Amino acid sequence: MSEVALLIEGLEAGYEPGLPIVRGANLTVQHGEIVAILGPNGAGKSSLVKAVAGLVPISAGRVLLNGRDITRTPAHRMVFEGLAFVPQTENVFINLSVAENLELAAAIVKANRQERLEPVYAMFPDLFRQRGLPAGQLSGGQRQMLAVARALIAKPSLLILDEPSAGLSPLLVAQVFAKLREVRDAGITVLLVEQNVKSALAIADRAAVLVEGRERMVGTSAELLGDERLAALYLGRHAEQQRPAGGAS
Amino acid sequence: MIQILADGLIIGSIIALGAIGLSMTLSIVRFSNFSHGELLGWGAYFALVASTLFNVSSGVWATPLAPFSFGWGLLVSLLLACAFTAVLALALDAILFRRLRKQGSITLVIASFGAALALRNLLLFWQGGIPRYYSENLQIATAYLSRSVWGGLRVTPDQFFVLTLSLVTVTGLHLFLSHSTLGRSMRATALNPGLARVTGIDPERVMRATWLIGGVLAAVAGVFAGLTVQLRPTMGVDLLLPLFAAVILGGVGSIWGAVLGGFIVGLAESVSITLVGAEYRAAAAFAVLIAILMVRPRGLFGEKH
Repeated sequence: MSEVALLIEGLEAGYEPGLPIVRGANLTVQHGEIVAILGPNGAGKSSLVKAVAGLVPISAGRVLLNGRDITRTPAHRMVFEGLAFVPQTENVFINLSVAENLELAAAIVKANRQERLEPVYAMFPDLFRQRGLPAGQLSGGQRQMLAVARALIAKPSLLILDEPSAGLSPLLVAQVFAKLREVRDAGITVLLVEQNVKSALAIADRAAVLVEGRERMVGTSAELLGDERLAALYLGRHAEQQRPAGGAS
Repeated sequence: MIQILADGLIIGSIIALGAIGLSMTLSIVRFSNFSHGELLGWGAYFALVASTLFNVSSGVWATPLAPFSFGWGLLVSLLLACAFTAVLALALDAILFRRLRKQGSITLVIASFGAALALRNLLLFWQGGIPRYYSENLQIATAYLSRSVWGGLRVTPDQFFVLTLSLVTVTGLHLFLSHSTLGRSMRATALNPGLARVTGIDPERVMRATWLIGGVLAAVAGVFAGLTVQLRPTMGVDLLLPLFAAVILGGVGSIWGAVLGGFIVGLAESVSITLVGAEYRAAAAFAVLIAILMVRPRGLFGEKH
């Protein structure tokens, strides 16, 4: 297997033909890494990961997952390629119970239900306790955990999350990010889009800063935290606002 | 009083079967399909053509199964009608709706008006405008309660058959949607199509299943309408507004909502026929619809997504 889990080359993508939101983005994610995609609002972060997941039309460039070209793979085939995606909002089926959400994900990939559910319930014991509850009745943090658990059922090699901290309190953000470390430790590569720069850089091995649809800076979290260009480019006011609170933006 | 209730339940069961398919199209394929009523009409006539062939062959197929007015021929014809109507629904999607899906729901709604007109007139051209019946045998309604008890209750065996098979069909559909992977995939797609896709659910497969199930239920509803009333090429458009009323009343996307909505619309029609005359029955159904929507804007089982 290639050391590179995900390779994005010259990617252009957007909802309308001729109006790309992602404009020639490049990114390499190694196996076993947590990589964060940062950037100001409207930079194209979510569009980039949605394009990789097959949800936004790609007009140019290519995406390789474990060396396989998935540029034109439809979104519903991605789980079979080893890519799981957790959307930012509405990321669980609220009318289905916790167990039904997970069982559906297992049934779709034609997996043995018990074999897939047991390790996920072991990682998320709260979900096991609340398995009979409709997902719509879960708190924000629990929903995010269920969304991650649902994605893990398919045993992906790459887990992509679009702003997993959105709408969560700093305490819940810490819990979700701690689970993402566990996911990485289980051998799954993680790529996440984040507005919450401090928290993201705290767990990410590397990060890319996206501006106007393409990466402007790529480096390790430590490099980026110490890079003045980053503050000037994006973090400036955000970083200053976050420090006194010591938590989420 | 009891008779009005029984008549309402029988009409309501037919409306409910049609409304479920309409509700599923609305929540999964995401447009109001105004040609859905015509599937009921075509289903009814498919069964008529098939049962006529069985009757010509005479023998066991044509002999009525006492106490019903129909024989094995109509039961097999019902199954054939389900298959033909499902194919018709799938063909409509493949030829028309699938090609227009990217244009948005308004385009699909207008296309469905066109499809309805074409289907209705084709049926009229094929079968003529004269009302038809599955059986010329007269059925005597059995008195279950005398007139002195709540006004009495008389029901024909055919009406019992319609009500029972409707409930069996709806229960079967409920089990399918609750326990099968495809059924759960359909519910998931109705709830959140984007999330369904990233979970690995093929949207085209779900849509094909929706058309197929909608076609089957429309055929059953059409045959039941023909069995309890009569067959006319305009029966589909006549049932269309009650179907929409039932869907909206029950809450879009809810199977049991469509069933309850169908029964409420049927009861409203039944009450109005007795109290103010048949010409006001549609108005009565919509008066109930408006009253319920004022209290529950999403319908009885409609949920905030």
